[in-house]
Amino acid sequence: MKRLGLILFILAGMAFGYTAQAQTEISPERKRAIDSLAMEKIRDLGKYISIIGNKQTPFSEAKRVIDRTLELFVEDAQMGVSSLYKQEVTYYGIREYLERLMLLNYDKVKIEWFNIQYISDLELQPDGRYVGVITIFQRFEGTSDDGLIYKDVTKKDITVYVERKQTQIGGKLIGFWDVLLGDIRVVETTK
Amino acid sequence: MHKQILSTAIILLLVLSSYHINAQNMGDFKYDETELYAETKQVNQFFRRFNGEEDKHGERLYEKDKDFRTYKLRKKYVPMLFNLESGILADAAKEKFSEMVLDKEDPVYLDFHGGAWLCELQTIFTYKGVEDELTLFLVLQEEEVGSKWVIDGVYFEPFHKGLKNPDNSNFNDRKFLHPLSHELGFMNIFRVFNESDSLEYFGHKNFEPDYLSLFFYEIKNGSLRFNTVKDLKFHFFQIDGWYLELTYFNRDGLNSGWLISNLLEVDEKNRDILLNYIYHE
Repeated sequence: MKRLGLILFILAGMAFGYTAQAQTEISPERKRAIDSLAMEKIRDLGKYISIIGNKQTPFSEAKRVIDRTLELFVEDAQMGVSSLYKQEVTYYGIREYLERLMLLNYDKVKIEWFNIQYISDLELQPDGRYVGVITIFQRFEGTSDDGLIYKDVTKKDITVYVERKQTQIGGKLIGFWDVLLGDIRVVETTK
Repeated sequence: MHKQILSTAIILLLVLSSYHINAQNMGDFKYDETELYAETKQVNQFFRRFNGEEDKHGERLYEKDKDFRTYKLRKKYVPMLFNLESGILADAAKEKFSEMVLDKEDPVYLDFHGGAWLCELQTIFTYKGVEDELTLFLVLQEEEVGSKWVIDGVYFEPFHKGLKNPDNSNFNDRKFLHPLSHELGFMNIFRVFNESDSLEYFGHKNFEPDYLSLFFYEIKNGSLRFNTVKDLKFHFFQIDGWYLELTYFNRDGLNSGWLISNLLEVDEKNRDILLNYIYHE
């Protein structure tokens, strides 16, 4: 069985992979600190989305906030959106997604968070960075000036890239963990 | 069946009883987060719950933690990880499987890097101007540094229709190149290409189409274009003697998210048959 053979071959090759991973393992304490940092960035994202989508926000300010939002992401990050009625994912670049949100021009945008999130383990990828996925649930409510309300509850699976970097402070090299957001999958929930 | 669902629901409520159920009040929108807590939100969480690596508050447990992989914790989680609204999951199989993986002397865990599991991904492509569903099979491959998902197979109906294996079960006395064709410098080979439908009769008896190469080729020459992803599920052969299918259930209630949607006891021979079936081989 050629397929299973491949899978077993992968299994046999694991020892090597584990050696490489063990060298850069992240302790549970470190993981918790990285999780907090990632959640902080995700909260910033929520805050920025509220500002961008709000009609009261002047155009120039909204553009500035879009630029700030993009700083949270790796280059070329995509938003993949699906609904209960359309399972196929529709892709938007993050800038495109934010600009569309700005043009929707809701009179009022309310984004509420549920007190539940799930933070995956961090997995080492071939380029040496770690990747994780944080799942959050949000309720979006947009009210237009004619009183129409659009609302949904979505599950957002947000990619998080974690990288060990160094910076020079006072002539000394200081290591730190940098966290950037990546692709986001948005699924409308039945809940 | 009903009894089974009821007992599992009771276990689930017991697990949740110590969890602070926070019903948020959002104007006219009251939300009980219990369902979100109960949902197995990621495949990663399925592994954690199956292995008993998540406590009753949803916190990640590590080896040094008291409850890490304990029988008590797993006994609560494992029954919740089945799709309880399924008619195809036999109670007897679930019980036998649970008993085996929860064995106190020799417990069985799932391992993300343990191989012998794969993803079946439904996608939409446009092939020669027509939109069509295409299935990709992906496996996790270990690298010198880290790991990555790689494409291990593809199922696309137009490929299968166009390149089906000829039925050689009956003696074929018409479609062949006669054994002295070489003496004519194979000038008669034009007959092979006259009828594209019977092309495979002129191939070696061991010919097997390589759909993955064809897939890559058709993308490279621009005939096949990716549109979007649609759905996915996972097949596990990691636990000796068993096959599990994992599917995402986006629904209300306490039994939602990534759940075991199919469970079969399979010996080695049947495992190969099942793998062939999954890969459409």
